Amino acid sequence: MTAYTDSSAPLPSSGRRFSLVSRRGAGIVLLTLIAVFAIFGPWLIAIDPARQELSRFLESPSWAQPLGMDQLGRSMLARLAHATRLSLSMAVLGVLSAAIPGTLIGVAAAWRGGWIERVLTALADAVLALPGLLLVLLLAAFAPGQFWPLYVGISLALWVEYFRVVRAASHILLASPQVEASRLLGFNTIYLLRRHLLPVLLPRIFTLMRFGFAGAVLAMSALGFVGVGLQPPTPELGVMMIELLPYYSEAPWLIGAPVLVLFMTLLGLVLLAREEEAA
Amino acid sequence: MTMALDIQQLCVFSDAQRLVHDIALQIPAGTSLTLLGESGSGKSLLAQAIMGNLPAPLQCSGTVRIGAHQSDARLQKARHSLWGRQIGLLPQEPWLALDPTMTVERQIAETYALVSHPPADSQNDTLRAAKLQARSLAQSALQGLGLQTAAKKYPHMISGGMAQRVAFLATHAAGARMMIIDEPTKGLDSDRRDEVVQLLKTALAEGIGLLAITHDVALARSLGGRIAVMLNGRIVEQGSADEILDRPQHEYSRRLFAADPANWPSYQRRKTDAANPEVVVRIENVAKRFGKQQLFSDVGAVIRKAELVSISGPSGSGKTTLGNIVLGLIKPDQGRIERSSGLSRIAFQKIYQDPGAAFAPSISIRRSLQDVVELHKLDWQVVSALLARLRLQPALLDRLPSQVSGGELQRFALARVLILKPVLIFADEPTSRLDPITQQATLELLAEHARECQCAVLLVTHDREIAKHLADRELSLQ
Repeated sequence: MTAYTDSSAPLPSSGRRFSLVSRRGAGIVLLTLIAVFAIFGPWLIAIDPARQELSRFLESPSWAQPLGMDQLGRSMLARLAHATRLSLSMAVLGVLSAAIPGTLIGVAAAWRGGWIERVLTALADAVLALPGLLLVLLLAAFAPGQFWPLYVGISLALWVEYFRVVRAASHILLASPQVEASRLLGFNTIYLLRRHLLPVLLPRIFTLMRFGFAGAVLAMSALGFVGVGLQPPTPELGVMMIELLPYYSEAPWLIGAPVLVLFMTLLGLVLLAREEEAA
Repeated sequence: MTMALDIQQLCVFSDAQRLVHDIALQIPAGTSLTLLGESGSGKSLLAQAIMGNLPAPLQCSGTVRIGAHQSDARLQKARHSLWGRQIGLLPQEPWLALDPTMTVERQIAETYALVSHPPADSQNDTLRAAKLQARSLAQSALQGLGLQTAAKKYPHMISGGMAQRVAFLATHAAGARMMIIDEPTKGLDSDRRDEVVQLLKTALAEGIGLLAITHDVALARSLGGRIAVMLNGRIVEQGSADEILDRPQHEYSRRLFAADPANWPSYQRRKTDAANPEVVVRIENVAKRFGKQQLFSDVGAVIRKAELVSISGPSGSGKTTLGNIVLGLIKPDQGRIERSSGLSRIAFQKIYQDPGAAFAPSISIRRSLQDVVELHKLDWQVVSALLARLRLQPALLDRLPSQVSGGELQRFALARVLILKPVLIFADEPTSRLDPITQQATLELLAEHARECQCAVLLVTHDREIAKHLADRELSLQ
């Protein structure tokens, strides 16, 4: 035991801090690698993902084709790079266009209260009562075979959870002494948002976005499966999983590749989380 | 005489440092020991070490004897089987420890049924008998403390003082001969404090040993028995209550007792009427109710420049609500608040009970103060001069609000409102969470600076002594 020191505050344990840094570091590295693969992959590989060589179907991985060929003799690596780019960019777009309006509407509802809040809450409950898939199908009926109903539908189904979380948290924050004190001190709305609301809300929104991201990729593939979403031969992670599922016993690496990309993306996002919300 | 608690050479330590040093305490059955000390002095760690539930990285050594059961202090688990039956702990703010979904009688009966008289086997008859017996035991226990009317009520329907007695009964139902009581008077006004003392004296008369942990000198005085003063993890002084309170030997004990509001020097009261006619705010026939409960009605008062007015009244009488109405944060049901004309929007400021809740938690204190300075185009020099006068180290500025002590943060909160040169400060129990020495220092600074910048103060405090010594006059709510 060492000598008594005056401060009774527990010392921050250095071991924990180190592991935290390396955890977030691992997340950042993983996501950077995937982003590089998605952005530069299609350009570096330079093989048309739709070019078929039927004689080479289900070919095993080799030096020239590190992931082998798929059931129609297409380059798996090229397809995976294109699919990663398409899926991830659509998921990012969908999540952002759900998170930003959802958050803004949530804060507005908590801030204004009264009938504005009641109307917005009723609207959110109505959307929640409607299955997301049904919403997309309804929209798709307006514009068959197009890309936008897919994207709009996913965003429309996802914004509700941001709205609900943000509204509940903002209610508590706006009634708290810290906000009351800042108001008395003469601060305006922007300041209250920047100093009091966002520091609390952003980590929660980020958590929702991470899981929403995975949900968006899976929703797109599910829609492809029922024939509404993207169709083969478009290289998209979900569509590829569905296409390659029948060949899992002959060529497990094929179905494994898109699953692994999705898994790694989500793992990277989870690792990014701060320690206190990891549980 | 049998000992209810006997601890020898008790130390609490983490890997890096020793937090509690070599404590020896004996509490004979039927007597009390009051452990006085400021927050962070290790009082609560000592209680946790005795119970055997120290947080994970901490360890303890020494010996602990509870009743007839002697154990090595480091074997914390060995003492868990004594919980309830041999030793009980009444936690801080016990109303939070009650189950809000159960009636008072059921909560107490539960302990009788499950802990003190466990059924011999799981046969229904025995269980039913135990339950029936437990109910009648609970009823008679409630009757013993004058709580029979509360038996069928839920915890939110009874007052804080009653909730404390209920929690005491529930803790004590299993027949513990030794009770540790953590801050039993925290946030209670003097009437409630007397109720608690009465309760503890009843327990003593039954032959229970008591260890009361508090920084309330008044509680120590009315409880009598023995007193131990704790500072930085050591007991610096121990003896009978009369002896210690009248002739404290250690310098720290002397400061601690001098800081008890009852011993404060009286300030020069000011004559408020004609000498200083400038009215800051006029309160006319104000009334407020929450749901069915009428808090107050027909409250009228005039607050003049630079006077210190205390709002008094029993808990739940709407002291804080009245202050918030004056600030304009709540609208009254009736009546009106008339601010003197020409006051800016930021002329009325508030100081909170919990300073930690009044600062944005994610930014440094410097940033918080800087924001105010920038918003109102003030000079940072004014702030640094003020901080120096409030005895705040500039190094503290770069910490987060959670990284400074409550007393320091309350002074920062004071600085934050003083730089705006307010006309009225509403101080809502500003020191009820601080230990006596810090409390006195903080309140003196508040009064001194408010008087200096001709600022009126509306002070809510549950402590009559503070109001008596500090305020120019009193505004009473029935």
